Amino acid sequence: MTATTSRRLRLGAAVAGLGVLAAGCAKDAPQDTWDPAGPAAQQIDDLQKPIFAIAGVVGVVVFTMILVIVLKFRRRKDGDRVPRQIHGAPRLEIAWTLAPAVLLAAIAVPTVTTIFDLAEKPEEALTVNVIGQQWWWEFDYPSIFTDSGRPVVTSGEMVIPAGQWVTLNITSRDVIHSFWIPRLNGKKDAVPGRVHFLKLKADEPGTYWGQCTEFCGLSHANMRQRVVALSPDDWDRWVANQKLAANTPTDQLALEGEALFKGQCVRCHQVDGLTDDAGEPLVSRADEQLVSGAAPNLTHLMSRTTFGGVSFDLKRPECTNDSAFDEQFATGTAANCLNEADLERWLRNTPAMKPMYSQPTEDTGTLIRGMPALGLTEEQIDALVAYLVTLT
Amino acid sequence: MADTTIIHSPAEFVPEDEHHGVAHHTSTGLSNNKLAMWLFLGSECLLFGGLISTYMLYRGRTEGGPTPEEIFDIPFTSVSSFVLLMSSLTMVLAVANAKRGDIRRTRLWLVTTALLGATFVGGQVYEFTAFYREGLGFTTSLFGSSFYTLTGFHGMHVTVGIIMLLSLTFITQRGRITGDRAEVVEIVGLYWHFVDIVWIVIFTLVYLIPA
Amino acid sequence: MAIIEQPPRQLELAPAGVVGPSQALGAYARPLRATGWRAWLFTVDHKKIGLMYGFTAFFFFIVGGVEALLIRLQLAQPNGNVLSADLYNQMFTMHATTMVFLFVMPMAAAFANYFVPLQIGARDVAFPRINAFGFWCFLFGGLFLYISPFTGGMADGGWFMYAPNSGPVFSPTNGIDFWVIALLITGIASLTSSINLITTVLNMRAPGMSLMKMPIFTWMVTVVQFLLLFAVPVITVALVLLNFQRLFDATFFDVEAGADPLLWQHLFWIFGHPEVYILILPSFGIVSEVLPVFSRKPLFGYPFVVFSGAAIGFMGWGVWAHHMFASGLGPISVAVFAATTMFIAVPTGVKIINWLATMWGGNLRFTAAMHFAVGLVVLFTIGGLSGVTHAIAPSDTQQTDTYYIVAHFHYVLFGGAVFGLFAGFFYWWPKMFGRLLNEAWGKVCFWVMVVGVNLTFGPMHIVGLQGQPRRMYLYPDDLGFSAWNLVETIGSFILAFGVLIFLVIAVMSFRGPRNAPLDPWDARSYEWMTTSPPKEHNFDAIPAVHSIDEFFHRKYEEDETTGELRKVATAEEILAEQEASADRHIHLPSPSYWPIVVAFGLPVIGLGLIYNFIVAGVGALITLVGLYGWTQEPSAHDPEDEDPSAGPSKELATVG
Repeated sequence: MTATTSRRLRLGAAVAGLGVLAAGCAKDAPQDTWDPAGPAAQQIDDLQKPIFAIAGVVGVVVFTMILVIVLKFRRRKDGDRVPRQIHGAPRLEIAWTLAPAVLLAAIAVPTVTTIFDLAEKPEEALTVNVIGQQWWWEFDYPSIFTDSGRPVVTSGEMVIPAGQWVTLNITSRDVIHSFWIPRLNGKKDAVPGRVHFLKLKADEPGTYWGQCTEFCGLSHANMRQRVVALSPDDWDRWVANQKLAANTPTDQLALEGEALFKGQCVRCHQVDGLTDDAGEPLVSRADEQLVSGAAPNLTHLMSRTTFGGVSFDLKRPECTNDSAFDEQFATGTAANCLNEADLERWLRNTPAMKPMYSQPTEDTGTLIRGMPALGLTEEQIDALVAYLVTLT
Repeated sequence: MADTTIIHSPAEFVPEDEHHGVAHHTSTGLSNNKLAMWLFLGSECLLFGGLISTYMLYRGRTEGGPTPEEIFDIPFTSVSSFVLLMSSLTMVLAVANAKRGDIRRTRLWLVTTALLGATFVGGQVYEFTAFYREGLGFTTSLFGSSFYTLTGFHGMHVTVGIIMLLSLTFITQRGRITGDRAEVVEIVGLYWHFVDIVWIVIFTLVYLIPA
Repeated sequence: MAIIEQPPRQLELAPAGVVGPSQALGAYARPLRATGWRAWLFTVDHKKIGLMYGFTAFFFFIVGGVEALLIRLQLAQPNGNVLSADLYNQMFTMHATTMVFLFVMPMAAAFANYFVPLQIGARDVAFPRINAFGFWCFLFGGLFLYISPFTGGMADGGWFMYAPNSGPVFSPTNGIDFWVIALLITGIASLTSSINLITTVLNMRAPGMSLMKMPIFTWMVTVVQFLLLFAVPVITVALVLLNFQRLFDATFFDVEAGADPLLWQHLFWIFGHPEVYILILPSFGIVSEVLPVFSRKPLFGYPFVVFSGAAIGFMGWGVWAHHMFASGLGPISVAVFAATTMFIAVPTGVKIINWLATMWGGNLRFTAAMHFAVGLVVLFTIGGLSGVTHAIAPSDTQQTDTYYIVAHFHYVLFGGAVFGLFAGFFYWWPKMFGRLLNEAWGKVCFWVMVVGVNLTFGPMHIVGLQGQPRRMYLYPDDLGFSAWNLVETIGSFILAFGVLIFLVIAVMSFRGPRNAPLDPWDARSYEWMTTSPPKEHNFDAIPAVHSIDEFFHRKYEEDETTGELRKVATAEEILAEQEASADRHIHLPSPSYWPIVVAFGLPVIGLGLIYNFIVAGVGALITLVGLYGWTQEPSAHDPEDEDPSAGPSKELATVG
């Protein structure tokens, strides 16, 4: 009994200890909450690590007490002796009621100050509007305008300048989502009808991963996001590129693809620079197709490295540098690095790759929640891919 | 209820009492039925609290339909509120007469209470149909949904109360009520007064206090 | 110990056998002295009802467990394809709903129903027919929920069912409609049971049993009933609003119409947080009974344990928004709720320390029940400490919606609530069935489950802090979660194996003879002063109470010279004394058809609301007819039923 009891307790302590250690030493965990890369996440980390340590100590003390008790007071040979019937010790009990209360009060002070610090808006910051919808993120830059006079709109990967505060205004177009980049800050829910504030700053250039963290339906697991922090020069280049409209392709196949895009895709997906036959700018009307009313803006698709709600790579594995920040990010995915296989599968049958509601239901009228299977021929898919590659 | 009558004595084992119909001694001094009604009313406070909070949150969201100011007829609702208030008075009279053992008067006041309650409900029905004709439906706006849900739940509770009152009248007609069975009347009375108090709160918050 | 000398009395119960229709009020003959399956269908006996709650709850435990294993199979590897996204979302919704509403709550209700009257010296609860009604509501509500897989899909919005995702636009199948109505029906069960048990505890205690002499399990159950009384109406409002939106196009959670999605969250969590204390306090009560018995010492600081239970119940109303730290409340609300959440750790901590102090200086016997009780103390401490880290709101914005939270609540719910229930099984099995569960295999079961719990939920702390979010049907292979998830899946099957061992032990216990000793544990509290199993009327005569642990004080007396306690009476002697002074005329409440009839109408109404209002009308009719029959029926059958010459009863029908 003794041996097994203590074995159990050692097992429990080992699991707990291992947990604490392993969590701190995560190497391949890009969403590790104990590995801050910006001041907001650092502030949370500075608050939580000591408290975890205190909790760990309390746990060890309690387990030790139990071990001692279990060993010291287990029934011996003189079996059924009735020990002294102690009913309580009120003064002791008051003491051990007050002690944790005092400890918690002490912990409450830095907790409350951190809450208010994190809620404080930074003075000089880039503002990005973050809009969640089923099952992707849209990022609008209200202070950066394209040549056609509209704010820059991207999706999936939020590009920011490194070393600078960014203020996020977070909302949703349909259900509740949650925006989270663990290494940069805690999460904040994207609630339709409300706008929530979150601030981020990445100390160094790099890619920081996150996922939607409020259950939002069928493809909640496929709704991911990244923050890409660029050095000042790279940032300027990126901004300059985003301001440009898409050019008409020169390649024949790509031209076919563009025609196909203008006929079908543009109903949902905006590409700045496309014009109709009369020369007027083509504006997509996703609100006539989708419940959420929006689809990703594809003007600079190839300036990104992922697609489909950051669920799939635009880049082929050999072009992706896992261990460090990909310094070629500012130029996005080059044509020779394109992951055509996944992109073609996407165009062939989107719902098969990412579960969606591509058919209207009784309560949605004619609107759908996701990209339908388009029924394209292989030639059409090749043409489209050739066109999409030109959207740098 | 498990009706073992206990007579307290210093004995180790407590002998069973022969008589039934005598009120059982309880630690709270309230019979089981009365205590149960008080507990139930306590939970109902939270039910109406939730509905009232929902209403208070949504009272100003009237897009697509009329606003409270446009649609409420305060004088009319004041009259029906007064009717309900008077029904509490008649309920008190019913209980008093039940305690005195005056079956005839008990029945009279029970029926009067039920009639006043029915008048109130009738007034609510009239009011709702008028609102509907004036453009406030259940699905028109958040104000509409929450208003009808709150007042509808209250109206349902009044209706259940009326059924209880009439059932009680029917039972007393069979001459089954005795001195301490007046407690059943009292318990129904508790429910009725609660429903009335809830209405006072609703009337004040919904109708009288402007958004 | 003075024993009043009284001549032995004859116990006069009504004769057995079926008799003719009642001459009293009521349209239908009530069932009398039924045997076989009718004895269960129409019973109002709290013990039978408790057993039915228990067996049904254990069945749903298995169902919820299978759902959990399917979830773990899907997550064993990255990019798993055991379950589709749709099926996975249904699975985790139903797993949680089943475990919370159809297993833990009813299993606690099983123990409460069986043992609270026995612990306070009552012969039944205050309203036996309402008690039966509550059970049937639970059963029918649970079965109603499980119609949904056959009608287009189960609920898939998570057990917390956030709006607007739960609305008709975003959740087009009927699964959520079944979920809403099932919870409304089981909510009726909880509400009526709470009124019943509170009335029983406040009004029907044995002479001399003041509130501060009540067994501690009864105290914890009483606090739980008050929590239910006030929390169930709040979720009722939320469910009604959602129901009206889904079925009747109300706009409560329609953002286009101006609705605020946070309304659902507030209403749900104002229920949801007291709910978690509803889940844990009964197990705290069981452990507070078990530890003293197997330490041979009284519960240390009984008043403090009572007050901390009440404090938890009270303070539990002020912490709900700690589930919403990332939902967009302002910093002031977040700070307030962070503070209140930190302070609710205090009464919980007090309990743990008091349990340790109970064991300190004791003479510990490590029976299977004691294993589970000590296991609860260890595992709940782990879960409780991770809970304290959630109270730190900024830290929680990293933890919430990750597997770190899943780890926390599974430690407190499985390691806490479920281990407490298992301790209750081993402890009280001989009292309920006159048989013992096999002790050796019980300890094996314990160890397997401990390994299972730690392997399944321990690593979740790690992957959660490494950023694995909840409620995701798959995870990719480049986030670093893969290895631990495989470990967790293996652990879940070990845990399931432990539960299987328990099932085998339970079945085996019924094979042997009914030969458990009357007092196998040398127990302390009042309920042990009955036969095993107790007679239908529980006590031949209600023993008066002079102290906490009344039974123990009748067995042991303090020696004047040495101060040591020595045994002066055995359980058998105490029982014989009771039987010798048996009450002459014991009236028990009689079986009744109406509870099951009224309960049956409710799921029919539910089906009708979803599909066809005529069906709803039929259901309403069944319920109304049942209610009419019920109110016309006296609580106990008319003696005239068995002896027509005795004349009609003057009793007015009472509710219970």
